[in-house]
Parts: sequence; C-alpha cells; structure tokens
Amino acid sequence: MSTGEARRAVALSLRQLSKRFSDKTALDSVSFDVEPGTFLVLLGPSGSGKTTLLRCLAGIERPTSGTILIDRRMVAGPDTFVHPEKRRLSMVFQDYALWPHLNVRRNVAFPLARSSRSTTDKRARVEDLLERVGIGHLANRFPNQLSGGEQQRVALARALAADVGLILFDEPLSNLDSDRREQLRIEIATLTREAGATAVYITHDQSEAFGLADVVGVLNHGSLVQFDTPESIYLRPANAFVARFTGVAGEFGVRVIRARGGGRYDVELPFARGQRIEAIALEELELGSTQSLFVRAAGVTLGPTSELCGVTGHVIDVAFTGRGYEHVVRVGPEAQLSKVFSTSRFERTSQVRVSFEVSACLVMRTPTNG
Amino acid sequence: MNPIRKTSARRFRFALVALAPVVASLSLLGVPSGAAEPTLVVYSAQGYDSAAVTAFNHTHPGFSVTLNDNSTGPLLQQIQAEGNNPKWGVLWVDGSTAFAQLDSQGKLVRGWTPKVSFNKLGLANLPKDRSYIPTGLTATGALVWDSSQMTAAQLPKTWADLLKPQYKGELGMNDPAQSGPTYPMIAGLMNSLGHYPTSKNLAHAITAGEQFLLALKKNGLVVNATNGPTLAAIEAHQIKMAIIQSSAGYGTELTTYPKMRVAYLNPVTALPGVIGIDAKAPKSVQSEAKKFITWLLSPAGQHVMKTGDAQGDSLFWPVLNNDAPSNSLIPPLAKVPMQTVNPYVWGAQENKVNAWFESNINNG
Amino acid sequence: MTSGRATTPVSTEARRPTAIRLVVSVLRRRPPMGSVGLWAVLALLIIAPVTCFLLLAVSPRLLGQGPQYFTLRFIGQAFQGNTGQGIFNSLWVSTTVSVLAVACSTVLAWLVSRTNVYGRRMWTVTMWALLLVPTWMMTLGWTDVLQPFGVSQFLGLNSSYLYGQFFGPTGIIVVLTVAATPFSYFVVSAGLQGLGSEFEDAARIHGASRFLTVRTVLPIIAPALLSAFAISFAETMSDFGVAFTLGYHSHFPLATYTLFSAISNFPANFPVAAVVAVVLIASTVPLILLQSHVMRKRTFAVLSGRTRAPRRRELGPLARVATTAGVVGFFAIALGVPVLGAVIGSFVQNLGIYSSTPVHLTTTYYEQVIHPSIIGKGLGAPLLLSNQLGFIVAGATGLLALVLARRLVQSTGGWSQRITDVFLLGSVAVPGVVLGVGYIFFYNLNFITSHVIDLYKTLPLLALALIATSLPGQTRFMAGPVSQIQPSLGEAARVHGASRFRTWRTTNFPLVSRVLLWGWLLTFTKTISELAIAQVLYPPSQEPASVTIQAYLANNALGTGTAMTVITLVEMFGAIVLALGLYRVVTPRGWRRIGWSEVSG
Repeated sequence: MSTGEARRAVALSLRQLSKRFSDKTALDSVSFDVEPGTFLVLLGPSGSGKTTLLRCLAGIERPTSGTILIDRRMVAGPDTFVHPEKRRLSMVFQDYALWPHLNVRRNVAFPLARSSRSTTDKRARVEDLLERVGIGHLANRFPNQLSGGEQQRVALARALAADVGLILFDEPLSNLDSDRREQLRIEIATLTREAGATAVYITHDQSEAFGLADVVGVLNHGSLVQFDTPESIYLRPANAFVARFTGVAGEFGVRVIRARGGGRYDVELPFARGQRIEAIALEELELGSTQSLFVRAAGVTLGPTSELCGVTGHVIDVAFTGRGYEHVVRVGPEAQLSKVFSTSRFERTSQVRVSFEVSACLVMRTPTNG
Repeated sequence: MNPIRKTSARRFRFALVALAPVVASLSLLGVPSGAAEPTLVVYSAQGYDSAAVTAFNHTHPGFSVTLNDNSTGPLLQQIQAEGNNPKWGVLWVDGSTAFAQLDSQGKLVRGWTPKVSFNKLGLANLPKDRSYIPTGLTATGALVWDSSQMTAAQLPKTWADLLKPQYKGELGMNDPAQSGPTYPMIAGLMNSLGHYPTSKNLAHAITAGEQFLLALKKNGLVVNATNGPTLAAIEAHQIKMAIIQSSAGYGTELTTYPKMRVAYLNPVTALPGVIGIDAKAPKSVQSEAKKFITWLLSPAGQHVMKTGDAQGDSLFWPVLNNDAPSNSLIPPLAKVPMQTVNPYVWGAQENKVNAWFESNINNG
Repeated sequence: MTSGRATTPVSTEARRPTAIRLVVSVLRRRPPMGSVGLWAVLALLIIAPVTCFLLLAVSPRLLGQGPQYFTLRFIGQAFQGNTGQGIFNSLWVSTTVSVLAVACSTVLAWLVSRTNVYGRRMWTVTMWALLLVPTWMMTLGWTDVLQPFGVSQFLGLNSSYLYGQFFGPTGIIVVLTVAATPFSYFVVSAGLQGLGSEFEDAARIHGASRFLTVRTVLPIIAPALLSAFAISFAETMSDFGVAFTLGYHSHFPLATYTLFSAISNFPANFPVAAVVAVVLIASTVPLILLQSHVMRKRTFAVLSGRTRAPRRRELGPLARVATTAGVVGFFAIALGVPVLGAVIGSFVQNLGIYSSTPVHLTTTYYEQVIHPSIIGKGLGAPLLLSNQLGFIVAGATGLLALVLARRLVQSTGGWSQRITDVFLLGSVAVPGVVLGVGYIFFYNLNFITSHVIDLYKTLPLLALALIATSLPGQTRFMAGPVSQIQPSLGEAARVHGASRFRTWRTTNFPLVSRVLLWGWLLTFTKTISELAIAQVLYPPSQEPASVTIQAYLANNALGTGTAMTVITLVEMFGAIVLALGLYRVVTPRGWRRIGWSEVSG
C-alpha cells in the first residue's frame, strides 16, 4: 500500500447503531471499528440487516439511533445526518443501478463531477478505469447493450472513479454465474486494494466473504454476532449460528466425557457407542452433559475400512469437483457428513472409515431453551 | 421510495412541490388581484351583444362593461348555480319566461324603465312590475319554408292545416329542452289552442297543446335539437318547412340558403329579447346597468343592435315607436298576427311541459 | 446468543399499556405533510367541487337550489322516464362497448406486439392519434361522410342505409368502442409485455394444446384485461361528445345527456342531474373494487428484469396480409374515414345542402374562418387561447400527475395507495359537465370567494377545472412507466456525489422525460378539444376554440364548423410533431433509449 493511498483510506466507526422500521427492528445496536484500508465483509443470511447497515452507511437510510463516524467525522447521530452526496463514498449496487440513458463512459464519469480534476484529467481517468476493468472497448455502449458481467464491471469502474476513501458493495456478485463471480471477485479484491480505499462489502456467501475479507462481521437478526478475522471466525465461531453459517459438514449431539485441558474435551459420538473423539470447546463444559458438535469438512478424512481409527460410514453420494471428490457419508442412523473431500473416489454404498482432526471439531453448548 | 426523504421538512417541501404547478398555472393566467371595483357584467345570448358592449364602452369613457356571451341554457345554468352570490349584472336573452321566474324569486330590480316610447307590442311585453325590459321582438313559431320545394300557394293557411296528410313528414321543429325559443312557441300554441286568457283553464290549454303536438307527431313531425340541424334538414330536403324563430329563417335566406322563406300562421307568438337587472348587484353596478339599457334603447343603441349580427339576431322588430326593422325582408309588425303570452303563467309550466315533450314527442 | 441482544436497551414503550402506546405512536408520527398537501390539492381540484354537485341529489337546500335539507324524491325522479331510460341505456351501452373495446384492443395489442403483422410501429402511433381525437370530432367526421349531400354522395356513394344505422345504437356503440379502444390498448399492451413467452413455452412444453395454452396464459393477464375493462367503462360512462351528438339525434338518451338536459331547462333541475352523476360514478365502483382486489398483491411494475423479450409469431404470407387488412380496417373505421371525411367535407360546396348545381370543391369555409360570418366569432383568438390553456394545463397536470403517480407506485403505500388508486379511477367517470357546474357551486360559495380565493369567471378557474379533468387519467397513464424506474438509480446518483437537484436533473428527469412529454401532449390536445367544461366555465370575452366551433355547428354552419375543426386538428397534430421533433433535437441520445416500448417515436 503506497503512502498516498493510505492517506485516502478512511476509518469507520459505528456505535450502538439501530434502525427500526414501523413493524420490525432491522438493526439492533451494532457497534464496530474499522481501520483505514480494511476490507470488511458483512456476512449474514437475508433479513439479517446487512443491507440496512450498508444503506445506513451510504446515507440512503437514516438510522433510528446510534452514531456513524466516517474518517472521524460524524455522519449520522443525534441531530446529525449527512446526506449521501456529502459523505465522500461510492457504492456498487446489487442491481448495478446503471443509468440507462447514459452510455458507459458517462456512467463512469458521473462521480467525477465532484472532483476538482481538469476535464482532460477526468477523461483520462475514465479511460484508464475502463481499461482496468477490461471494458475499454465498450465505452460508447448503453447499459442495456451489455451482459450482466459487463454491467457489473461498469458499476465497479464507476465506484472506483469516485476516488474516495470508502467503497460500499451491496452483494455485487449475486446476479452473476459462478465463473464470472470468481473472476470479478478477484478483480474487486485487487482493484479495491489498489485504490487503497476502505471497503464494506455485504454478502450471504461465506466463501466470497472469506476470499475477500480482512475482517468479517457476521450479522443475524439485526445484531452483530461476531466481528473478527476470517481465520478466527472459522476456527472460533462465536456461536452455533456462526459455525453453521460459515460451513459445517455435520452437526451432532454429543456427550462430554473428559476434560483434557486447554479447551479440549473428549466427547462420545451417539451413533458409534464407545467411540470417542477429541474436540475443541470455546467455553467450559460440564462433564456428562450433552452438547453440540460441529464438524468442519476440512478436518474430516476418509480411508478404507482397513484403517483402525475413526468411525465407520457409508458413502451416499460422491461428486467430482475437478480437484478431487466430495462425498456425502452416513455415519449413523440420523447422522451424515457432507462435502467430505478426498483425492480418491469412494463409490456410492461402499463402507469407509471416517476420522476427525481435532481442529475441525468444535463443541458448543446446546442452547437450553431451544 | 427513498427513506431519507421521510422527514417532516422534506414532506413539507413535497407538499409545496405538489402545489407549485397549480399556483404556477394560476399566476401565468393572471389571477385577478385584490378587490377591484365591481363593474357591470352582461350575461347575454344575443348575436349582437358583442357589438353592443364594444360600442357602449367606446362611447362611454370610464365604463368597462364586460360581456359573458353564451347560449341561453348555460347562462341560466350559471345564474342558478351562482345562487346567493350572483356575478351577473344584467341578463339579456330572448324570451321572457325565464325572467318571469327570476322575478318571482325576487332576483330582478323592479320598477324601473328607461324613458322611451314603447310601441304596442313593446308595452305588451313590459311586465306590470317593470322587472325586465324588452329591447326587440322576434316571432317564434314562424313557418320557415323552402321555396325550392314548394310554392307559396301550397303553404298551410292555418295551424290545423299542418295536420293534413299532404304535409305528412314535411314539418320540423326544435326540442324545447335544447332550443331556447321553442318552449315559448309551445306555450303560445297551448295559449291559443286552449283560448287560455279567456278560458282561464290552464290545464285545458296544456292538454289542447299536447293533443296538437301528438297529432303533429303522427303526421311525421321531425324534431331536431336546435335551429341549426332543423334548418339543415330543410336544406338537405329531408323536410320542407319548420316552425322556428323568425330571425333564423331570415338569416338563412340571407346567407347559406337563399330559397328559404318565412311565413306567419295565425297566431305566432312574440319572443321578446329582454333585459333585466340583478337585484343583488351593488348599487353602482345597477346604475351602470341602467345606463347601458337606456343606451340600448336609444337610437345609437338600436342602430348597433340592428347591424351587429346583420344576418342573424339583428333581424328583429324594434319595440319603440317610429322605428323599423333593419332589413326589408321583414314585413311590418302590423302585418304579423302576433300574440303575447303571459310569461308568469307559462314560465311556471316550462319544466313540466318540456319533460312531457321529451318523453312523448322526442323519445316517445 | 452472546452479543448484541443483552446490551440492547429494552424499549420503554413495550412496558406501557396498549392504549398509551397507541397514543404515543400516533403522536410520535411526523405529520405526513406530503400526503396532506397532495390531498389538499386534490380536494380543491376535484373532491370539493364534485361533492358540492353530488350533495344536491339529497340536499338541494344546502346550495340554495330548493327547499329541502334532505330528500330522496329526486332519486325516484331520476330513475323514471327519459332520465331512467338514459341511465339504463348508458349502463348496457358502456358494458357492451367495454367488452368490444377490450376484445379489439387485445387482438390489436397481440398482433402488434406478438406477430409480424405489417406496419407495427405505425399502428402504435396511430393508436396514439386515436387517443387524441375527441368523440365529437369523430362523430362530426362520420356525419360529414354519411349525411345526405355529404362526402359519400360527393364521391358518388349511396350512404342512406349506413346513415340510418349510424344514428342509432349501432353508430353510438361503434364510435364509443373506437374511442375506448386506445385506453384499453395501452393497458393490455403493458400486460402483454409482462407476459414473457416463457409462460407460453412452459404450457406448451408440458403438452398443452394451443387452446389450453391460451387458457393457461389468459389468467396471467387477467388483471390487465380487467383494468382495461374498468378504464373503458369509466371513460364510456362519462363520455359526453357522443351522447350530445349521436345519442341525441338518434333519440337514444344516454345518462350524460339526460344529466345535461336536466340542467339546461330553466329552472335547472340540479338534484336530478346530481342523482344521475352519482349513478355514473357509482357504476364504476364494483369494477374498481374487483380490480383492486385482483391487483392487491401486484405492484404496477408489470415488467420484471428477468422477463425475456417475447418471441414474435411469424405469420405466413397470407395470414400476414389478412391480419394487416384487419388492422387497416379497424383504423379506417376509427380514424381514417372520419378524419378524411371531415377534411373533404370542409372543401365541399354546400355540404349537406340540396343544390341544383353539381357539387364541387370550394375554399369558402376556410375563408369564413378568416372572415367570420358571426361577428366576433373568428377562430384566431379562441384557438390561441385554447393553445395557451393547453400549454399551461398540460404542464401543471403533467407535474401533478407525476407526483401522484410516484405516490401510486410506492410499494409501501398500503391503504393510502389503494385509496388514491380507487379515487383516481372513480374520478375518470365524473362527466365534465358535473365538474364544470360543481366548480361554479364551490368556487362561487361566499366563503370561498371572500376568504379563500375569488376565481369564479376567470381563466384560472377554467384552467383548474381542465387540470382536474385530465389529472386522474394522466396519473394512471404515468403510473406504469414511473413504476419501472428502480429507486436504486436515484440512490446511486446521491451516493456518487449528486445533490438532490442534480440527481433529479441527471437521473430522474431523463428517465421520466419521455412519458412526461407524451402525457403533456395528451393533456394538451384533450384540453384544446374539451367542450363540456369549457362551455360552462369560460370567462367573459375569452372563448376557447371548441366553444367557437360548437357555436358554428349549432348555428347551421356545418361547413365552417368542419373547416374550423380541421384547422384545429391540423394545429394540434402540428404541435405534436413539433414537440416530438424538438424532443429529438434537444435531448441527448440516451434519453430516447429508455425502454418505454408503447411509444415508438
């Protein structure tokens, strides 16, 4: 990151931010701080409040209470509300929001109206941006003459053109097919970091989130459930919701047998009586109690039945993914693991030996009140 | 919608935006500003009204009489809808029945006439309480006929002749609901057929008239809305003659259809052009109105009336002594068998008779 | 849950009793100034004057029109005799006309949008032209053609049978159907666009026969058809042009005519007229309710981004020619014959007059326009005034309609939105003469003239009434296109640094510019040709063109009246061409790219 760019990136600070609509609470007292230049991804299912949060940041939505500081300047708070055009940010919309009556070049040049650059300078910047997002040859086209991916590139170029310290992304890849998603995700990551801006990106796709983020915020029912690095979120999910939302191969009720110290416990699997495995707990657990075990797919290995350790399972389904095979394995009457990766193929109906790595097994309190 | 707009200040501005186009349109058209001194507004359906008002304003510096020119129907509608907050200064239309009703409602200034010498028919059309003043006369129920389709010798001699088979399908008239002069004509028919003034039996007179109209209908009477289509029907040779207002017949003879002629069966009914002053108008307006009426009945005013619509409404008989019609086509008044009906009696029957006509003659 | 929830301050409201909570929530609500302002405008423009008029039905005394404060006798009176006949006729004629109009317009819309029939672009434009021609002009044109010694006789054709048919229910239904078709057409076209061919494809892939396909697909556009029916019905019920000309002359009373006739006697029977007006408006209520029920779950946005452009059916050469001939036939009856008839008629010497000299062409009527035979009744000043009125009324109506349309398409509108919608369609059924006379009652109330505004007998009042009469239709017309504008477009502009004004100028305005232009033209032409309100409300010495023309037509000057009509039509269409041309020249290319496909200009 060059010094010039670092200067432009802005810090972001939210305190007790709430937004109520007439009949429901969309955001419930959300607080967090973001360092300049951070790529923040807000992850959550639909209805979790992530879009509302982004719109509050943009100034499209006015928060009911709480404060927002952008670059240490209060833009929303008690008796304060800065309109979107005064917040010096830009945004990529889910539906692209390209103006149908302006061609690509003029769409991209739009945010430059507030810039003090000279006309030639502006023109050069637009051309440069269009080249960088790979649509230089489409400058004179109108939005409805472009494919979805091309439209998204225009939207990205427009957001970058603004030359501001904060860029917001509202599920920009959700309307694209998987190939283009991957390609554009990389471009967003690199171009945004190149621009040195702080980014807030919302998505419901955890792989997209982990792929992009410096920091991930997980939202559920309007509350911020966890705010941490992708690694921490994956390895130490704050609760069952985060664990589930960030991808588990299977989830079982287990009995806590023995404390090994250092947050590790031995737990007994219900479907393989006597079979114990070691798991990590993020909180203290009573021995003999029944809790929930979450297994990450990455820590599950399959082997032939000849292997000694592990539990026995039946392969239900196998899918070729290119790199190898993803299996669905039944390990008990009502227990199965999905997305279990192996470089070798285990046929449907065959028996396999399933073993678990400690780091992939998380045991958590089962909520008492359901 | 954009939620950031939902602040009360924003909503207030939104309301202003909604009002703006209306306000702008008003200002562009020029809203009358302030309470200007009220001036005389003439509600008139006379063809020469525009010429008269212009000439009056021209010859009377300091006066600015305005003209609300329209057909009789809409004018009366407006006056009735204006109700207790009238905007008219004088009403000037053909036919005195509406005036008789306005007078009964106390809406006309009574007891004033300009100092002029009315002729016999003029006096006959001046009510006892002097609530309105005749300015000219035409005849309604004149027999307007097409000399290219028939000869004078073939004309009916009496009203009863119209029921003869030889005239089957040859006669037209207007609809009283749409044509102002037509109800006075029907009232005149009833008046004469029922010998009303002598018999004093109104119901009998009405029945007699209704019987006659039904008989006419049986003999192929063609009813059109107004003078226009009725005359057009003659011109298109669909009918040969019509009982309508005399001036319309003369006007057509002078313009579109030179073969048109006017004849008079005994009796035709006087249709005075009359003018009356709004009793609720400010005194200043009333005095302007009196000046205007006095001028209308002066030689200068009469001249303008006789030339303002030379091929239409100007074809009337003056109501003043020692005066003559503008055009030689019009016979001397003495040679026309003209009756005058009591508008106070017949005005009150107008809606009933018209409704009967609508149901039994026009759509029956 | 570990975070968030525990630190949330528990709402203090939640602990209060329900009643107090309700009061607090009401008090906390900011006064909806936008709604209040808008409804205030609507109240002054439409609601108050029309209510004044309708109140007379039961309470003549309130407005000084009779002795009774409350009576029901006029209701009985209105359903008897000629008036009752008129109501009955109007109801069945409007129903028939609406069915025919929806059928015609559905077939036409399908042909134009879904087949390769010839001249598709031209037909859409022609449909626009049809929308702009008022019914009285259409009747005049047909009369010029069919009447004895008229245009057809001039062309050597015997039209006496058709003339007889024309002056009767047949002619009335034909003209009214033709007039209602464009309203229905634009609604149905929009519906057809929302109907991507995937529905059709899906039905056929799953083995449906062609008939079954139609049956499957039809319900999808049923709301559009119902909407088209409702608008046709309301427009037909309130039409005065045909009732006053054709209806009258063929002794076939329609409700708007009997209403007019009740108030053209002296003394005018306002209460009976009011009852008829109530019937006219009330007759649309069941339709509105039905439509609003069907539409409840739908927004006005009939287009979804995912709907693919429908595939056109490629008709074989014979079918293509035949269907094209059908479309040509429709427009010939609707527009070609009356317009050509009027144009030719305006040049035929002795139009409608028996003459021994052979018929020949003449320019007499046009000379009379310049040297009027009725003093002070030239067309120049009235036409200029009509244009000024049209200009201003169209501008104000356009802006107001835009505000209302935006309100109408708000998905959060709920009840307010539905009320607005129902109100607007109901207002379409208010005959012009009711609005006009209502304006006299309301704007001449002592209270209004002395404490609010004294506009009676002024041009602004006429302008207001004309705005009021165009606003409902105009708003519904704009609702569709406005609903297709994604809110994110404006938000994107704001986020990227555009002030509210710049957002409006660079984003919202270009997006609605085209529909604004067409809406403007629609009101402009309707205002110039409007007769019922103009007749009642034009101020002293300021006569609009339509009133002047009517004066000639009523005074046995058919030729001059026709010539004036032709001049007015030419002027109107000239203004349209000019406006469209200017739009092309002045606006950037992108503005014209915005898909509003009903208009192909």
